[in-house]
Amino acid sequence: MDCKQAVSFMHEYLDGDLPSEQARELQSHFDACPDCRAAFRRLEETEMMIFAANRRPAEISAPDDMTDRIMSFLPQPKKHSPVWSWVQRHPALTAAAAFILIMLGTSIGFWNADTQLVVKGSDLERVQVQGDTVIVPEGTTVSGDLTVQRGKLEIYGDVEGNVTVIDGSAYQASTAHVTGQVKDIHQALDWVWYKLGNFVSEVAYR
Amino acid sequence: MDNLETRLVKLALKGDQRAFAEIVDLYKDRIYHLAYRMLNNRHEAEDVVQETFLRVYRNLDRYDQAQKFSTWIYRIGTNLSIDRLRKRKPTYSLDAEIGDQDGADGYALIPGDNRTPETEYLISETRTTIHEAIDDLPPKYKTVMILRYLQELSLQEISDVLDMPVTTIKTRVHRGREFLRKKLESQNR
Repeated sequence: MDCKQAVSFMHEYLDGDLPSEQARELQSHFDACPDCRAAFRRLEETEMMIFAANRRPAEISAPDDMTDRIMSFLPQPKKHSPVWSWVQRHPALTAAAAFILIMLGTSIGFWNADTQLVVKGSDLERVQVQGDTVIVPEGTTVSGDLTVQRGKLEIYGDVEGNVTVIDGSAYQASTAHVTGQVKDIHQALDWVWYKLGNFVSEVAYR
Repeated sequence: MDNLETRLVKLALKGDQRAFAEIVDLYKDRIYHLAYRMLNNRHEAEDVVQETFLRVYRNLDRYDQAQKFSTWIYRIGTNLSIDRLRKRKPTYSLDAEIGDQDGADGYALIPGDNRTPETEYLISETRTTIHEAIDDLPPKYKTVMILRYLQELSLQEISDVLDMPVTTIKTRVHRGREFLRKKLESQNR
Protein backbone atom coordinates (compact mmCIF):
# COMPACT_ATOMS: atom_id res chain seq x y z
CA MET A 1 0.00 0.00 0.00
CA ASP A 2 1.32 3.44 -0.86
CA CYS A 3 0.83 6.50 1.35
CA LYS A 4 -1.82 8.01 -0.92
CA GLN A 5 -3.93 4.89 -0.61
CA ALA A 6 -3.30 4.93 3.13
CA VAL A 7 -4.70 8.49 3.45
CA SER A 8 -7.83 7.46 1.60
CA PHE A 9 -8.21 4.47 3.93
CA MET A 10 -7.73 6.75 6.95
CA HIS A 11 -10.69 8.87 5.92
CA GLU A 12 -12.81 5.82 5.24
CA TYR A 13 -11.90 4.56 8.69
CA LEU A 14 -12.94 7.84 10.28
CA ASP A 15 -16.21 7.70 8.37
CA GLY A 16 -16.73 4.28 9.91
CA ASP A 17 -16.77 2.72 6.46
CA LEU A 18 -13.47 0.82 6.26
CA PRO A 19 -13.92 -2.95 6.10
CA SER A 20 -11.87 -4.84 8.69
CA GLU A 21 -9.64 -6.44 6.08
CA GLN A 22 -8.56 -3.02 4.78
CA ALA A 23 -8.22 -1.80 8.35
CA ARG A 24 -5.64 -4.54 8.93
CA GLU A 25 -3.80 -3.50 5.78
CA LEU A 26 -3.77 0.07 7.03
CA GLN A 27 -2.43 -1.09 10.37
CA SER A 28 0.44 -2.95 8.73
CA HIS A 29 1.19 0.14 6.64
CA PHE A 30 1.41 2.19 9.86
CA ASP A 31 3.93 -0.32 11.25
CA ALA A 32 6.10 0.37 8.25
CA CYS A 33 5.43 4.10 7.82
CA PRO A 34 5.74 6.35 10.93
CA ASP A 35 4.77 9.44 8.90
CA CYS A 36 1.39 7.99 8.01
CA ARG A 37 0.91 6.82 11.59
CA ALA A 38 1.53 10.39 12.80
CA ALA A 39 -0.73 11.81 10.09
CA PHE A 40 -3.47 9.45 11.16
CA ARG A 41 -3.13 10.47 14.81
CA ARG A 42 -3.49 14.14 13.84
CA LEU A 43 -6.46 13.38 11.65
CA GLU A 44 -8.11 11.42 14.43
CA GLU A 45 -7.53 14.30 16.85
CA THR A 46 -8.97 16.73 14.34
CA GLU A 47 -12.03 14.55 13.96
CA MET A 48 -12.57 14.46 17.71
CA MET A 49 -12.03 18.19 18.02
CA ILE A 50 -14.49 19.05 15.28
CA PHE A 51 -17.13 16.91 16.93
CA ALA A 52 -16.37 18.45 20.32
CA ALA A 53 -16.33 21.99 18.95
CA ASN A 54 -19.64 21.58 17.25
CA ARG A 55 -21.60 19.98 20.08
CA ARG A 56 -24.69 22.06 20.25
CA PRO A 57 -24.21 24.44 23.16
CA ALA A 58 -27.27 25.43 25.17
CA GLU A 59 -26.78 29.12 24.49
CA ILE A 60 -27.15 28.65 20.76
CA SER A 61 -30.80 27.83 20.56
CA ALA A 62 -33.76 29.53 19.03
CA PRO A 63 -35.34 32.25 21.19
CA ASP A 64 -38.05 31.03 23.55
CA ASP A 65 -40.84 32.88 21.83
CA MET A 66 -39.87 31.47 18.44
CA THR A 67 -42.70 28.95 18.29
CA ASP A 68 -45.33 31.57 19.10
CA ARG A 69 -43.86 33.98 16.60
CA ILE A 70 -43.80 31.38 13.84
CA MET A 71 -47.35 30.31 14.59
CA SER A 72 -48.52 33.92 14.37
CA PHE A 73 -46.77 34.36 11.02
CA LEU A 74 -48.45 31.38 9.43
CA PRO A 75 -51.13 32.10 6.88
CA GLN A 76 -54.61 31.08 7.95
CA PRO A 77 -55.28 27.48 7.03
CA LYS A 78 -57.01 27.19 3.70
CA LYS A 79 -60.61 26.44 4.50
CA HIS A 80 -61.86 24.02 1.90
CA SER A 81 -65.60 23.81 2.15
CA PRO A 82 -66.64 20.21 2.74
CA VAL A 83 -69.08 20.43 -0.18
CA TRP A 84 -66.36 21.49 -2.59
CA SER A 85 -63.93 18.78 -1.50
CA TRP A 86 -66.73 16.21 -1.82
CA VAL A 87 -67.36 17.45 -5.35
CA GLN A 88 -63.68 17.12 -6.16
CA ARG A 89 -63.55 13.58 -4.83
CA HIS A 90 -66.72 12.35 -6.58
CA PRO A 91 -66.96 13.84 -10.07
CA ALA A 92 -69.31 11.14 -11.40
CA LEU A 93 -71.74 11.45 -8.52
CA THR A 94 -71.60 15.21 -8.86
CA ALA A 95 -72.54 14.98 -12.54
CA ALA A 96 -75.41 12.64 -11.67
CA ALA A 97 -76.58 14.99 -8.91
CA ALA A 98 -76.40 17.94 -11.29
CA PHE A 99 -78.45 16.00 -13.84
CA ILE A 100 -81.11 15.15 -11.28
CA LEU A 101 -81.18 18.76 -10.12
CA ILE A 102 -81.75 19.96 -13.67
CA MET A 103 -84.46 17.36 -14.16
CA LEU A 104 -86.18 18.47 -10.98
CA GLY A 105 -85.78 22.08 -11.96
CA THR A 106 -87.44 21.63 -15.33
CA SER A 107 -90.18 19.45 -13.85
CA ILE A 108 -90.95 22.05 -11.22
CA GLY A 109 -90.76 24.66 -13.93
CA PHE A 110 -93.40 22.84 -15.92
CA TRP A 111 -95.44 22.36 -12.82
CA ASN A 112 -95.41 26.10 -12.27
CA ALA A 113 -95.87 26.91 -15.92
CA ASP A 114 -99.38 25.55 -16.38
CA THR A 115 -102.22 27.23 -14.61
CA GLN A 116 -105.03 25.74 -16.66
CA LEU A 117 -107.26 22.89 -15.74
CA VAL A 118 -106.22 19.60 -17.27
CA VAL A 119 -108.46 16.57 -17.42
CA LYS A 120 -107.11 13.29 -18.66
CA GLY A 121 -108.91 10.05 -19.16
CA SER A 122 -110.01 7.50 -21.75
CA ASP A 123 -113.72 8.15 -21.27
CA LEU A 124 -114.16 11.89 -20.93
CA GLU A 125 -117.51 12.14 -22.70
CA ARG A 126 -119.38 11.32 -19.56
CA VAL A 127 -117.58 13.91 -17.50
CA GLN A 128 -119.00 17.40 -17.04
CA VAL A 129 -116.74 20.40 -16.67
CA GLN A 130 -118.05 23.55 -14.99
CA GLY A 131 -115.36 26.23 -14.64
CA ASP A 132 -112.54 24.60 -12.72
CA THR A 133 -114.75 21.85 -11.43
CA VAL A 134 -114.89 18.40 -13.01
CA ILE A 135 -118.00 16.46 -12.21
CA VAL A 136 -118.79 12.77 -12.62
CA PRO A 137 -122.59 12.93 -12.44
CA GLU A 138 -124.67 10.51 -10.45
CA GLY A 139 -125.68 7.43 -12.44
CA THR A 140 -122.83 7.70 -14.95
CA THR A 141 -119.94 5.29 -15.20
CA VAL A 142 -116.52 6.44 -16.39
CA SER A 143 -114.44 3.55 -17.58
CA GLY A 144 -110.68 3.86 -17.30
CA ASP A 145 -108.42 6.13 -15.23
CA LEU A 146 -109.25 9.76 -14.59
CA THR A 147 -106.70 12.49 -13.90
CA VAL A 148 -107.50 16.06 -12.97
CA GLN A 149 -104.86 18.72 -12.69
CA ARG A 150 -105.40 22.12 -11.04
CA GLY A 151 -109.09 21.67 -10.51
CA LYS A 152 -111.81 20.31 -8.24
CA LEU A 153 -113.17 16.87 -8.85
CA GLU A 154 -116.58 15.93 -7.59
CA ILE A 155 -117.59 12.32 -8.01
CA TYR A 156 -121.25 11.34 -7.70
CA GLY A 157 -121.19 8.36 -10.08
CA ASP A 158 -118.83 5.43 -10.71
CA VAL A 159 -115.22 5.43 -11.94
CA GLU A 160 -113.84 2.10 -13.08
CA GLY A 161 -110.17 2.89 -12.67
CA ASN A 162 -107.74 5.08 -10.68
CA VAL A 163 -108.49 8.67 -9.82
CA THR A 164 -105.63 11.16 -9.50
CA VAL A 165 -106.01 14.77 -8.49
CA ILE A 166 -102.97 16.99 -8.85
CA ASP A 167 -102.88 20.30 -7.03
CA GLY A 168 -106.58 20.27 -6.57
CA SER A 169 -109.23 18.61 -4.45
CA ALA A 170 -111.38 15.54 -4.76
CA TYR A 171 -114.82 15.12 -3.33
CA GLN A 172 -116.60 11.78 -3.30
CA ALA A 173 -120.30 11.75 -2.63
CA SER A 174 -121.95 8.86 -0.76
CA THR A 175 -123.21 7.59 -4.09
CA ALA A 176 -119.73 7.60 -5.65
CA HIS A 177 -117.88 4.43 -6.42
CA VAL A 178 -114.27 4.21 -7.50
CA THR A 179 -112.86 0.80 -8.30
CA GLY A 180 -109.20 1.90 -8.33
CA GLN A 181 -107.18 4.11 -6.02
CA VAL A 182 -107.80 7.77 -5.32
CA LYS A 183 -104.59 9.80 -5.21
CA ASP A 184 -104.48 13.40 -4.14
CA ILE A 185 -101.25 15.12 -5.05
CA HIS A 186 -100.73 18.62 -3.75
CA GLN A 187 -97.10 19.45 -3.83
CA ALA A 188 -94.48 19.82 -6.50
CA LEU A 189 -92.34 17.12 -4.96
CA ASP A 190 -95.22 14.67 -4.80
CA TRP A 191 -95.94 15.46 -8.38
CA VAL A 192 -92.34 14.75 -9.31
CA TRP A 193 -92.55 11.44 -7.50
CA TYR A 194 -95.70 10.72 -9.38
CA LYS A 195 -93.91 11.52 -12.67
CA LEU A 196 -90.93 9.46 -11.68
CA GLY A 197 -93.20 6.64 -10.58
CA ASN A 198 -94.88 6.66 -13.97
CA PHE A 199 -91.50 6.73 -15.64
CA VAL A 200 -90.22 3.83 -13.55
CA SER A 201 -93.29 1.68 -14.15
CA GLU A 202 -93.17 2.48 -17.86
CA VAL A 203 -89.55 1.33 -17.95
CA ALA A 204 -90.38 -1.72 -15.87
CA TYR A 205 -93.21 -2.83 -18.13
CA ARG A 206 -91.45 -2.17 -21.39
CA MET B 1 -39.77 9.30 16.50
CA ASP B 2 -40.63 9.09 12.84
CA ASN B 3 -44.02 7.79 13.72
CA LEU B 4 -44.73 10.77 15.94
CA GLU B 5 -43.68 13.18 13.20
CA THR B 6 -45.81 11.46 10.60
CA ARG B 7 -48.78 11.66 12.93
CA LEU B 8 -48.14 15.33 13.65
CA VAL B 9 -47.91 16.04 9.93
CA LYS B 10 -51.23 14.31 9.34
CA LEU B 11 -52.89 16.30 12.12
CA ALA B 12 -51.37 19.54 10.87
CA LEU B 13 -52.67 18.76 7.38
CA LYS B 14 -56.17 18.50 8.84
CA GLY B 15 -55.71 22.03 10.15
CA ASP B 16 -54.58 21.22 13.71
CA GLN B 17 -52.47 24.26 14.59
CA ARG B 18 -51.23 22.70 17.81
CA ALA B 19 -49.78 19.75 15.94
CA PHE B 20 -47.84 22.14 13.76
CA ALA B 21 -46.62 24.04 16.83
CA GLU B 22 -45.36 20.68 18.09
CA ILE B 23 -43.38 20.19 14.87
CA VAL B 24 -41.90 23.67 15.30
CA ASP B 25 -40.89 22.84 18.87
CA LEU B 26 -39.22 19.63 17.76
CA TYR B 27 -37.07 21.23 15.08
CA LYS B 28 -36.61 24.94 15.77
CA ASP B 29 -33.39 24.54 17.76
CA ARG B 30 -31.80 22.16 15.28
CA ILE B 31 -32.61 24.41 12.33
CA TYR B 32 -31.54 27.48 14.28
CA HIS B 33 -28.21 25.93 15.15
CA LEU B 34 -27.67 24.82 11.56
CA ALA B 35 -28.48 28.29 10.22
CA TYR B 36 -26.44 30.00 12.91
CA ARG B 37 -23.36 27.98 12.05
CA MET B 38 -23.90 28.47 8.35
CA LEU B 39 -24.44 32.22 8.58
CA ASN B 40 -22.71 33.11 11.83
CA ASN B 41 -25.41 35.61 12.62
CA ARG B 42 -28.24 35.23 15.12
CA HIS B 43 -30.63 37.54 13.36
CA GLU B 44 -30.25 35.82 10.01
CA ALA B 45 -30.49 32.44 11.68
CA GLU B 46 -33.86 33.44 13.15
CA ASP B 47 -35.02 34.54 9.73
CA VAL B 48 -34.01 31.22 8.25
CA VAL B 49 -35.88 29.32 10.97
CA GLN B 50 -39.05 31.31 10.32
CA GLU B 51 -38.75 30.94 6.57
CA THR B 52 -38.11 27.20 6.95
CA PHE B 53 -41.28 26.61 8.95
CA LEU B 54 -43.30 28.82 6.65
CA ARG B 55 -42.21 26.66 3.72
CA VAL B 56 -42.84 23.48 5.65
CA TYR B 57 -46.33 24.72 6.43
CA ARG B 58 -47.10 25.72 2.87
CA ASN B 59 -45.78 22.51 1.37
CA LEU B 60 -46.92 20.07 4.01
CA ASP B 61 -49.29 18.41 1.56
CA ARG B 62 -46.34 17.74 -0.74
CA TYR B 63 -44.26 16.03 1.93
CA ASP B 64 -43.47 12.49 0.80
CA GLN B 65 -43.94 10.21 3.77
CA ALA B 66 -41.55 7.63 2.35
CA GLN B 67 -38.86 10.14 3.24
CA LYS B 68 -37.72 10.94 6.77
CA PHE B 69 -39.30 14.16 7.98
CA SER B 70 -35.94 15.32 9.36
CA THR B 71 -34.34 14.90 5.93
CA TRP B 72 -37.04 17.03 4.37
CA ILE B 73 -36.87 19.86 6.90
CA TYR B 74 -33.06 19.83 6.88
CA ARG B 75 -33.14 20.15 3.12
CA ILE B 76 -35.34 23.23 3.33
CA GLY B 77 -33.27 24.81 6.12
CA THR B 78 -29.98 24.01 4.39
CA ASN B 79 -31.08 25.39 1.03
CA LEU B 80 -32.34 28.59 2.62
CA SER B 81 -29.03 29.03 4.44
CA ILE B 82 -26.99 28.35 1.31
CA ASP B 83 -29.10 30.85 -0.63
CA ARG B 84 -28.37 33.55 1.92
CA LEU B 85 -24.71 32.64 1.99
CA ARG B 86 -24.43 32.96 -1.78
CA LYS B 87 -26.29 36.25 -1.92
CA ARG B 88 -24.13 37.70 0.77
CA LYS B 89 -21.35 40.04 -0.24
CA PRO B 90 -17.99 38.91 1.07
CA THR B 91 -17.99 41.41 3.92
CA TYR B 92 -16.83 39.19 6.75
CA SER B 93 -13.47 40.44 7.78
CA LEU B 94 -10.46 38.22 7.36
CA ASP B 95 -8.32 40.69 9.26
CA ALA B 96 -10.21 40.24 12.50
CA GLU B 97 -9.84 36.49 12.38
CA ILE B 98 -6.15 36.61 11.64
CA GLY B 99 -5.62 39.13 14.43
CA ASP B 100 -7.42 36.89 16.94
CA GLN B 101 -5.50 33.86 15.93
CA ASP B 102 -2.13 35.53 16.33
CA GLY B 103 -3.04 36.60 19.83
CA ALA B 104 -4.32 33.15 20.69
CA ASP B 105 -1.17 31.48 19.48
CA GLY B 106 0.91 33.75 21.65
CA TYR B 107 -1.06 32.89 24.75
CA ALA B 108 -1.41 29.24 24.00
CA LEU B 109 2.35 28.84 23.82
CA ILE B 110 2.98 30.11 27.33
CA PRO B 111 3.34 27.15 29.68
CA GLY B 112 1.61 27.70 33.01
CA ASP B 113 1.30 26.00 36.39
CA ASN B 114 -2.37 26.82 36.42
CA ARG B 115 -3.32 24.24 33.86
CA THR B 116 -7.06 24.20 34.10
CA PRO B 117 -7.89 27.74 32.94
CA GLU B 118 -5.08 27.38 30.44
CA THR B 119 -6.51 24.16 29.07
CA GLU B 120 -9.93 25.63 28.97
CA TYR B 121 -8.65 28.60 27.14
CA LEU B 122 -6.98 26.29 24.66
CA ILE B 123 -10.15 24.34 24.17
CA SER B 124 -12.19 27.45 23.57
CA GLU B 125 -9.51 28.70 21.21
CA THR B 126 -9.56 25.42 19.34
CA ARG B 127 -13.29 25.69 19.10
CA THR B 128 -13.00 29.21 17.72
CA THR B 129 -10.38 28.08 15.22
CA ILE B 130 -12.60 25.28 14.03
CA HIS B 131 -15.64 27.50 13.71
CA GLU B 132 -13.69 30.12 11.86
CA ALA B 133 -12.14 27.52 9.60
CA ILE B 134 -15.54 26.05 8.80
CA ASP B 135 -16.83 29.55 8.17
CA ASP B 136 -14.03 30.11 5.65
CA LEU B 137 -14.97 27.04 3.64
CA PRO B 138 -16.85 27.44 0.36
CA PRO B 139 -20.59 26.82 0.90
CA LYS B 140 -20.57 23.31 -0.59
CA TYR B 141 -17.94 22.12 1.89
CA LYS B 142 -19.32 24.18 4.74
CA THR B 143 -22.77 22.67 4.41
CA VAL B 144 -21.46 19.12 4.44
CA MET B 145 -19.19 19.76 7.43
CA ILE B 146 -21.98 21.38 9.44
CA LEU B 147 -24.46 18.62 8.71
CA ARG B 148 -21.85 15.99 9.52
CA TYR B 149 -20.29 17.41 12.66
CA LEU B 150 -22.89 19.75 14.03
CA GLN B 151 -26.11 17.92 13.29
CA GLU B 152 -24.28 14.58 13.38
CA LEU B 153 -26.14 13.27 10.36
CA SER B 154 -24.86 10.11 8.72
CA LEU B 155 -23.24 10.35 5.29
CA GLN B 156 -26.31 8.69 3.81
CA GLU B 157 -28.62 11.23 5.46
CA ILE B 158 -26.49 14.12 4.18
CA SER B 159 -26.66 12.61 0.72
CA ASP B 160 -30.48 12.51 1.05
CA VAL B 161 -30.70 16.08 2.32
CA LEU B 162 -28.48 17.52 -0.39
CA ASP B 163 -29.67 15.10 -3.05
CA MET B 164 -26.12 14.16 -4.03
CA PRO B 165 -24.36 10.80 -4.23
CA VAL B 166 -22.75 9.52 -1.03
CA THR B 167 -19.36 9.42 -2.78
CA THR B 168 -19.57 13.19 -3.37
CA ILE B 169 -20.43 13.76 0.28
CA LYS B 170 -17.50 11.57 1.33
CA THR B 171 -15.05 13.47 -0.84
CA ARG B 172 -16.22 16.72 0.69
CA VAL B 173 -15.98 15.42 4.24
CA HIS B 174 -12.47 14.13 3.54
CA ARG B 175 -11.33 17.43 2.08
CA GLY B 176 -12.96 19.41 4.85
CA ARG B 177 -11.29 17.22 7.44
CA GLU B 178 -7.87 17.72 5.83
CA PHE B 179 -8.48 21.45 5.66
CA LEU B 180 -9.33 21.62 9.36
CA ARG B 181 -6.35 19.47 10.27
CA LYS B 182 -4.06 21.94 8.55
CA LYS B 183 -5.75 24.88 10.27
CA LEU B 184 -5.40 23.26 13.67
CA GLU B 185 -1.78 22.38 13.04
CA SER B 186 -0.97 25.93 12.08
CA GLN B 187 -2.70 27.12 15.26
CA ASN B 188 -0.76 24.79 17.51
CA ARG B 189 2.55 25.49 15.91
